[in-house]
Amino acid sequence: MYTPKTSGYWAPRAGTGMWAWVLQRLSGIVITLYLFAHILTISSALAGGASFDSLMSLLENPLILALEMPLYWAILYHGLNGVRVVLFDLGIGTRSQVAIFWGMMAVAAVLFAAGVYVAWPYIMGKPLA
Amino acid sequence: MRVALRIQRYNPETDRRPHWETYGVEVTPQTPVLDALHLVKDTQDGSLAFRRSCRGSICGSCAMRINGRAGLSCKQLFATLGARDGDAITVEPLANLPIIKDLVVDMTDFWAKRQAVYPWLLPAEGAPPTQEHLVAATAQQPIMDTAAEICIMCGACYSDCPMVGLDPHYLGPAALANAYRFNADPRDAGEPRRLEAVDQEHGVWRCHTIFNCVEVCPKGVNPTQAIERLKRRAVLRRLRLLPQRPG
Repeated sequence: MYTPKTSGYWAPRAGTGMWAWVLQRLSGIVITLYLFAHILTISSALAGGASFDSLMSLLENPLILALEMPLYWAILYHGLNGVRVVLFDLGIGTRSQVAIFWGMMAVAAVLFAAGVYVAWPYIMGKPLA
Repeated sequence: MRVALRIQRYNPETDRRPHWETYGVEVTPQTPVLDALHLVKDTQDGSLAFRRSCRGSICGSCAMRINGRAGLSCKQLFATLGARDGDAITVEPLANLPIIKDLVVDMTDFWAKRQAVYPWLLPAEGAPPTQEHLVAATAQQPIMDTAAEICIMCGACYSDCPMVGLDPHYLGPAALANAYRFNADPRDAGEPRRLEAVDQEHGVWRCHTIFNCVEVCPKGVNPTQAIERLKRRAVLRRLRLLPQRPG
């Protein structure tokens, strides 16, 4: 008898539901890592206002602002797909999970476009304050 | 048309691990993959091992992974696979189960997990009914929503569920759908016992609504819907709010 070690982790021709789940995990990791980075930068205030201000001025860099856009997408995805999964738990939509997924993604796309519209001038170099 | 069947082979007496072998076969678009396996066995390599019985999608013996997706080889025609002349079709045993030989897997775990959820009618204690038990069609609707009553126990869902791969003790979609099938039966009184069996770390809470089971089920069962209903009943049970009949 041969016991495969990994064959079951992945269905090679996965459908929408499986990709939704994989991306939910990945976006969750991204958000968790960001949370730690966030706590770290905020805690610089403990060393006094000056150190906090200097760190903040560093983070106002347009490059950092541009990097916040993928983060924004990860949060939108994780939140809206999370709502989709909560709907299943409430007994709604296990028969139309693919349609609900794309509906949520449409909402995410609109919110993402709005976010990019607001952030765009600052990413292009407009001062924040 | 001529297709190449790439079959995963494993002989426990000579091989340390499975390997792939390719067989050319002449088929039509309406040929089921199972018939092509028979062609290989009859004309090219008699040592090829696979399970089959009814060849009519009702016995559940011939489930395997075809082109990376679990299904019944008797039901998968080359046309439904989109195969054209000269294409290669891969055939592997079900995943998440140990391989005995070639496409034959050891389903011991699968059966044991099914057994763990009391997949039989547990009527209420007391004297048996003195007359025929009439059940209204509407009372059977909860079961029929999920189609759990037509599960043929082929193991396709169990193979393509990533949670079974990540947690070998997870009961899996088939066993849980069967638990729901009997819980929702109007003649049954065994729901507390079954909820006890599935309301645990390796039970309903391992399901992350990935829906692979729904996609691969050759009979159209929706195990995810059944598991979600079990989850809600399990919560009500913990809160001591369990009503008498499932909903």
